[in-house]
Amino acid sequence: MTHPSRREFLRDIGLSAAALPFILNLPSLGFANQTARKQRLVIIFSPNGVVQKNFWPDEEGDEFTLKESLTPLEPFKDRLLTLHGVCDKVRGDGDSHMRGIGCLLTGIELFPGNIQGGSDTPAGWSSGLSIDQEIKNFLQADAATRTRFGSLEFGVMVPDRADTWTRMSYSGPNKPNTPIDDPYRMFAKMYGRMKDQENLKSILDDLQGDLKTLASNVNSEDRRLLEEQTTFVREMERELSTGPVDGIGHAVPDLEPGVKEEADNMPRLSKMQIELMVNSFASDFTRVATLQYTNSVGDAKMRFLGVDQGHHELSHNPDDDEKSQEKLTTINKWYAEQVAYLAKRLAETPEPGGGGSLLDNTLIVWTNELGKGNSHTLDNIPFVLVGNGLDFKMGRSLKFGRVPHNRFLMSLAHGFGHRIDRFGNPDFCTVGPLPKLT
Amino acid sequence: MHTRLLLTVIPTQSLRNRFALSVVIGLLSLTAYADEAPTGEMIYQSKCASCHGAKGEGKVESYAHPLVGDRSIGELTEYISKSMPEDKPGTCIGDEAARVSQFIHETFYSSTAQARNKSARVELSHLTVRQYRNAVADMIGRFRGPGSSDDRVGLVAEYFKSRNFGGNDRVFERVDPVVSFDFQDKSPDADNPEGSKIEPYEFAIKWRGSVFAPDTGEYEFLVRTDQATRLWVNDQRRPLVDAYVKSGTDTEHRGTIFLLGGRSYPLRLEFSKASQGVKDQKAKEKPPAKASISLEWKRPNLVGEVIPARCLSPSQPPETCVVTTSFPPDDRSFGWERATTISKEWDQATTEAAIEVAGYIGNHLNQLSGSKPDTPERAEKLKAFCRRLAEIAFRRPLSDELKQRYIDRHFASASDPDIASNRVMLLVLKSPRFLYRELGSQQANANDAYNVASRISFGMWDSAPDQELLQKAANGELGTREQILAQAQRMVGDRRTHSKLREFLFRWLKVDRVPDLSKDPERFPDFSHVMANDLRTSLELFLDEILASEASDFRQLLLSDSVYLNGRLAGFYGAHLPIDAEFQKVSLESNERAGVLSHPYLMTGFAYTATSSPIHRGIFVARSILGRTLRPPPEAVAPLAPQLQPDLTTRDRVALQTSPEVCQSCHSMINPLGFTLEHFDAVGRFRKDENGKPIVATGAYRTRSGETVQFDGVRDLAKYLSESSETHAAFVEQLFHGAIKQPIRAYGSQTKESLREAFVRENFSIRKLMVEIIAASALTPADEKTQTVVGSTQP
Repeated sequence: MTHPSRREFLRDIGLSAAALPFILNLPSLGFANQTARKQRLVIIFSPNGVVQKNFWPDEEGDEFTLKESLTPLEPFKDRLLTLHGVCDKVRGDGDSHMRGIGCLLTGIELFPGNIQGGSDTPAGWSSGLSIDQEIKNFLQADAATRTRFGSLEFGVMVPDRADTWTRMSYSGPNKPNTPIDDPYRMFAKMYGRMKDQENLKSILDDLQGDLKTLASNVNSEDRRLLEEQTTFVREMERELSTGPVDGIGHAVPDLEPGVKEEADNMPRLSKMQIELMVNSFASDFTRVATLQYTNSVGDAKMRFLGVDQGHHELSHNPDDDEKSQEKLTTINKWYAEQVAYLAKRLAETPEPGGGGSLLDNTLIVWTNELGKGNSHTLDNIPFVLVGNGLDFKMGRSLKFGRVPHNRFLMSLAHGFGHRIDRFGNPDFCTVGPLPKLT
Repeated sequence: MHTRLLLTVIPTQSLRNRFALSVVIGLLSLTAYADEAPTGEMIYQSKCASCHGAKGEGKVESYAHPLVGDRSIGELTEYISKSMPEDKPGTCIGDEAARVSQFIHETFYSSTAQARNKSARVELSHLTVRQYRNAVADMIGRFRGPGSSDDRVGLVAEYFKSRNFGGNDRVFERVDPVVSFDFQDKSPDADNPEGSKIEPYEFAIKWRGSVFAPDTGEYEFLVRTDQATRLWVNDQRRPLVDAYVKSGTDTEHRGTIFLLGGRSYPLRLEFSKASQGVKDQKAKEKPPAKASISLEWKRPNLVGEVIPARCLSPSQPPETCVVTTSFPPDDRSFGWERATTISKEWDQATTEAAIEVAGYIGNHLNQLSGSKPDTPERAEKLKAFCRRLAEIAFRRPLSDELKQRYIDRHFASASDPDIASNRVMLLVLKSPRFLYRELGSQQANANDAYNVASRISFGMWDSAPDQELLQKAANGELGTREQILAQAQRMVGDRRTHSKLREFLFRWLKVDRVPDLSKDPERFPDFSHVMANDLRTSLELFLDEILASEASDFRQLLLSDSVYLNGRLAGFYGAHLPIDAEFQKVSLESNERAGVLSHPYLMTGFAYTATSSPIHRGIFVARSILGRTLRPPPEAVAPLAPQLQPDLTTRDRVALQTSPEVCQSCHSMINPLGFTLEHFDAVGRFRKDENGKPIVATGAYRTRSGETVQFDGVRDLAKYLSESSETHAAFVEQLFHGAIKQPIRAYGSQTKESLREAFVRENFSIRKLMVEIIAASALTPADEKTQTVVGSTQP
């Protein structure tokens, strides 16, 4: 399956509205949902585990030092929360990488299937929906928190293949969501309709002009038809000038054109996606977003960091391979930089219609399918939180003793006021959400 | 006159009919003896015209006003019985008054008659929904190659000995007529006498070719398999079904796609028996799993089935741009699609569709324009592409002025040639030059060659002119009847004509909307939805065969004595075929059949759940075949329940129910026609008796000129209809309207008759009639002053 080139997608901007509801029949973008505080959630995924000793702070509590991997987050240390000791305890079919990503946000087993991993039994898709979608559904159910998209699934360099390793977000059992890893396509999804309107507006004068010419060429009985159409065109013009085009309220991001989807461009692609995400929040298109870098077992060659081997390959090397540990730390540090860049952009962007910044109302959760690459453990999964969206008490390093991650997923829902008493496999939910977060 | 009316009563007493006299009077006054009774027109001319004028226009010296009004026929009858003629009231009563009232009402009195009598003209018309979709598909298709064609049926199948589709692993290739395989735990070439070259543990198959969509609508494709699979239909980039990941126990994988009827779409199906992901090195240590796959579909409004071989082909057509935007339906109040009014909904749909099509073009711009992004010649190439596209859309070359307005201005003002292209597309697709069938000719030149080209192609194909037609227009070679005939003859063999004729026949037979054929399960426990589906297929095969045949003989539609049956239907309808037999033409020995008139699909549709309906059947024959006008019943009537009169046959019951005088003005025509089909029960099976009483299938028809013809059974009826000039004229008129979508009278008062004569002369060839219709309409006669010609200037 080949995709059109990136450049072609830029060309398409404004042209791919076929699947969208008709532009003129949309509700306006100013809403009943602007009164209460707008809480948001971003979940960022990077693959292959981390070098634990260079990742987790040694201390517990509000006095702690960031290790090498997390140093880019230093400016946000007081809005940061690290959760050590949270474990993915879901077992069943599929290898650790598959369960790692497939159960990460769903907290429930994979279905049996035909996807064979490096070991263990083959498996299919997750048997439940993911927490981002659970929260999306909760927000969309209420007019006061409903948004145009409900959630947006971003990606960077996600392989063009749908299997258990490449999907993290699920809208239901057997219903994986495909992340959009092409910024131009995401742009078209967010703003294509506006471009259509702009283009439509630009042709109306010529259309009116030609209608007039033609009307003078036909007999009076037929002319009535063309005159009616002229009236409709005039009405459309009026609707377009009062429609969302003029009411968008913020600048449309200006994307660098022609960035190809290849590993060397990861930094640029990442920035573009982050800009689009910040814009989607500023215009309240969505309050839930995921951002998936590559995929579980992702093997991007990040030469722009001076690392020539693929990430997954490196992650298999033993702990005493210092060179590999160093490179893996560099890679994870780069991911931390991306988290920090998003936090920075959110902190710089004022909350529309309210005090403070977007970061005051947004929680970023950075996570991974494994605790550690070479052991493939699902214990101590990285959960690094930035931002004040859910009123967790930030600026701390927390350590839990091997708690199931389902409890953390429940905490996210509770943070939105969605008080579920279980999420995913109920066996891992018996004692409720994680303590000590708020 | 009065004595004649009495005469109609007296002989009825001698009839063997043992039911109420009133029934018999009503029923038989027009059948057995009707040829002696004068028609409404004859009565009018002899008793009324002297004062009211020959056409009800009035006479200054007697009754100066035109005879128009809003009384119903019943009221008119009452009034005439009481007060007319003015000098001799009481001499035109009863049945005679009823007949003359009906004539007056239908011919000039009622508002519908007045509308009908208004001088007809060719009106400015926009594209119908079908024309819009076809025009867009063909417009974009012009920038793609024709693809490969192949006369075989089925799909090319490549079999691989591994889970991948690598060339080195390919073991053999063949054509599979359908995809429906249960390999069990064996190899797909387990029966190979030279020994299987594919191990049963792991293999893959790729099918490719095309699928033909008979009708327009939503198609649901279903791949039923326990293994990994992917299916592409039309769009070869994005799979319609992606079940590469098998998850849980689901073995049914569906995808829905909107397709335009009468076209083929590229199709590709992949199947891989193996675990996916990391290669399972231990696979051969376990016993091989079972594997099966079938490719099925649900055509619009029909039930699911394995896609039949006749709809699959190894040909590789290019992708088609299918507009999915929904349009408000076309006005069919005249029985054909008139597109002479517009609405806000229509205008919005054209905007939405313009965005959709411009988006589609944008997504395929490199391929369609033959240019690459970011190259120096991009702007020039796109400009040339836009111009060519606009010329195809407008069906004529662009003048410099139009080129400026539609193309150049946008390339000059937009920041980027790609954005300019998008704007051009939107403007072109919103332009009346595209949206209306004929606009944009030079003043006072309504018969310019490009208009003629459009008339020919929309008439013949419901689509825009092709390259050759536009070339003929450019050469000025569409000015004479001979030149037009030559083009029409060239185009009539195209499958777009076939598709248009097929759709017309479905409408003619009143089955264009798939009827619900649920039947009373107690009466017909063996009749299923699947059989209803099969019956539709049987009718389709019959119509397709006649349309595709060299003679395309209209009479065969009425006369053919065979029916297409498969094994399932054969058992039910009393033919001898193996239960799994494919569809084939079968002559039903024990019972008589006559083409569409007794086709079990129509007989089943024109019936109630438990009993036949002579009324529905009679109306079908009267309206569709004979082209008679029938009004809706004066009041809504619930059919008499059979169980209330268990002694009556359906025929008797219908006669009883419609015996009142007010019913008889129409039912005297409807019932005797419908009764001739009484040998066919509610599921279209032949029967000799009903409730132990022998079937009486006698009937009659009183022609427009007042003669009465008698029939016994469907073959009698079919023979009469196939020879009747009324039938021929009705078919000519209906096909004309279906093809041209303008009133036939707008083309001159003689057009219908001369086309009928041509139809007879050409041995009732439907295709030749189509050609004649095009030839008769493409050059709008300019010498008749009463007609207004599109594109001409008003003084």
